[in-house]
Amino acid sequence: MTSLTRSISRRSALKAGSAALLTLAAPTLVRAQSASLKLGVLTPLTGAGGFDGPRMLKAMQAVAEEINGAGGLLGKKIDLVVEDDQTNPEAAVRAARKLIDVDRVPVIMGTWASAVTTAVAPVCWESKTFLTTVSGADSITLLPHQGYLIRTQPNNALQAAKHGEFLLGLGSKRVFIMSIQSPFAAPTQAKLKETVEKAGAAMAGALIYEKDKTTYRSEVDQVLRAKPDVVYVNGYAPDVSVILRDLYRAGFNGPRFAQSYSVTSKVLEALPPEVTEGVYTVAPSADIQSPAFALAAKRLKLEAPDSYETQATDWISLVSLAIAKAGQAEGTAIKDAVRKISQGSGEKVYTAVDGLKAIAAGKEINYEGASGPCDFNEIGDIIDCKFRFQIVEKGQFKFLKVA
Amino acid sequence: MENYIIAMGVSAGIYALMALGMNIIWGMAGLINLGLVGFFAVGAYTSALLTVKFGLPIVVGVMAGGAAAALVGVIVSLVTVRMRGDYLAIVTLGFAETIRVFATNEIWLTNGSDGISGIPGPFRGALTPVEFNSLYLAIMVVVVAVAYVLVERLSYSPFGRVLRAIRDDEQVAAVAGKQVLLYKVQAFALGSVALGVAGALYGHYTSYIAPDIFVPLLTLYIKLALLAGGVGNSKGAVLGAFVVVFFLECTRFIVPLIPAITPVQGAALRELIVSVSLLVILRFRSGGLIPEARSHLVVPAALPAPTRS
Repeated sequence: MTSLTRSISRRSALKAGSAALLTLAAPTLVRAQSASLKLGVLTPLTGAGGFDGPRMLKAMQAVAEEINGAGGLLGKKIDLVVEDDQTNPEAAVRAARKLIDVDRVPVIMGTWASAVTTAVAPVCWESKTFLTTVSGADSITLLPHQGYLIRTQPNNALQAAKHGEFLLGLGSKRVFIMSIQSPFAAPTQAKLKETVEKAGAAMAGALIYEKDKTTYRSEVDQVLRAKPDVVYVNGYAPDVSVILRDLYRAGFNGPRFAQSYSVTSKVLEALPPEVTEGVYTVAPSADIQSPAFALAAKRLKLEAPDSYETQATDWISLVSLAIAKAGQAEGTAIKDAVRKISQGSGEKVYTAVDGLKAIAAGKEINYEGASGPCDFNEIGDIIDCKFRFQIVEKGQFKFLKVA
Repeated sequence: MENYIIAMGVSAGIYALMALGMNIIWGMAGLINLGLVGFFAVGAYTSALLTVKFGLPIVVGVMAGGAAAALVGVIVSLVTVRMRGDYLAIVTLGFAETIRVFATNEIWLTNGSDGISGIPGPFRGALTPVEFNSLYLAIMVVVVAVAYVLVERLSYSPFGRVLRAIRDDEQVAAVAGKQVLLYKVQAFALGSVALGVAGALYGHYTSYIAPDIFVPLLTLYIKLALLAGGVGNSKGAVLGAFVVVFFLECTRFIVPLIPAITPVQGAALRELIVSVSLLVILRFRSGGLIPEARSHLVVPAALPAPTRS
């Protein structure tokens, strides 16, 4: 070994080290000057959740701006600290640690994938940080989270029962469900079977498929052999797009049914209209008659914000109101106060700003959200929720009903 | 802030352990293994199942995790015995996916995509998060130090020299009377032990594992660590792991400082930076920050080192 190579690498190691210290210190110096109230956002901005995450973020930013415009929260401006969970549990845990330990946020809003939420949840409850999520897996609210978690998304049992009722309403007698391998696959299939069979119809069959395949022809053949009159494709956008195409090629023209997060406007753009013609989509929905929904639409300048945008609207509203109610921005305080402002016999409010005014006036409030009534049971699940049904016609969504 | 740095130290320690394992298989023996996340998963699941379902002590779980990964390493190396280079890379990549698919589908054993939560950590209940992270960092430092010393010893030993000979020219090693297959299998097994132990320690640290964690992204991070640090030497592996974690985390702080950039653009930019940095390293410093020494303490470089392709 030559001594030359060694000394160079040692020197560069030193350089790297000092640069490291500087870069780590710089942002803290910059941020220390502003007296703002930091709230954490951890949404997927890249990866499989990259379509929904940015829109949820936008909805939260809109509410934060509105609150800041009306004088802020506890006399401070809300500053959303945003991290990307990369739709990956390992990366999400690192991002959550940064939000909790560096930014010292009292709340993390926005985890989307179930595995990410399950990985981040222990980090949150151990550090007494509140977590709000859309993840649907039933197991999440059963974690020992001590109240540090709420979910605005209906759990699978509630969803599958409503889906089953809708399919029965279409006159289906033989239902086939194909689910992506995921935490929600088995509970959804079980509850759907129960609902369908209770009404006297039958399951033509059920299968679970792997994600990220370029063709699902063999699965589609298996479906068609069972001669179903409706096919429920329970997956994510990449695989559902492929399956819809394969179903079309295989000549199936009966009703197909899917979650709206898997048949997005991007999917409609990417697929020929004849492939998606007559596909029913469902999403947990806002109560579109609710004033909160109209206000959220106006705030976001959208005709009809979807479930994720409205849920994100509700998280930051609930969190802000809980902070105002408790008088302090701490995870434990939010946990203890959130049910005092979300449910009960207080005055109904539909936006965070109105709620903040009412709290300042010393009134009891009950926040009614854009995504639903936002009433939570003791494990953090919502008690009731509406669903929005659409049908695709000529490559466009056509609204059917909210029920 | 301290807790964050400590926690990232633990992450870097786990990466470093994986990089050390990878260094035996890839750096020393020249076997391109893109399936290291599979061995990591085997270790993680073995230890998690033994401690959660059977209530065994964590130490036993971690050791069993290393042993199980070694066993799988032996099997994989025997299956791929006739493969080298790109073909071995493809098969090992497939192996890792097989493990992930197995973990997703064998719900009776692995709890499927729900994953296993509530994996015990040492004294987790009794300590505050900062204390727990500090304890775990101490454990990681000890484990990485021990692994480092062992890998260094291995590298200087006749065994390590044979591995490098096999890497540089398998036929020459065979002509010199070395049982190439046996050495390859041993290299795979030893490297897998480190990967399995890293997986087990990861599970006990975060308390949750699920198939979604064991995606090729992690393999690429470790590969990046080894390339950045220097393939074929243990110092480089450890340094590279810390550089990668530091780099991944640093971009978190730097990107928001760029004016007029939305968080969505920032997230995309972070991924871009990681790929560009890999390209830059490969182009300008293909030997890594600490290139592999041409000789070592025991055997001086008497002859100019042969150029390797």
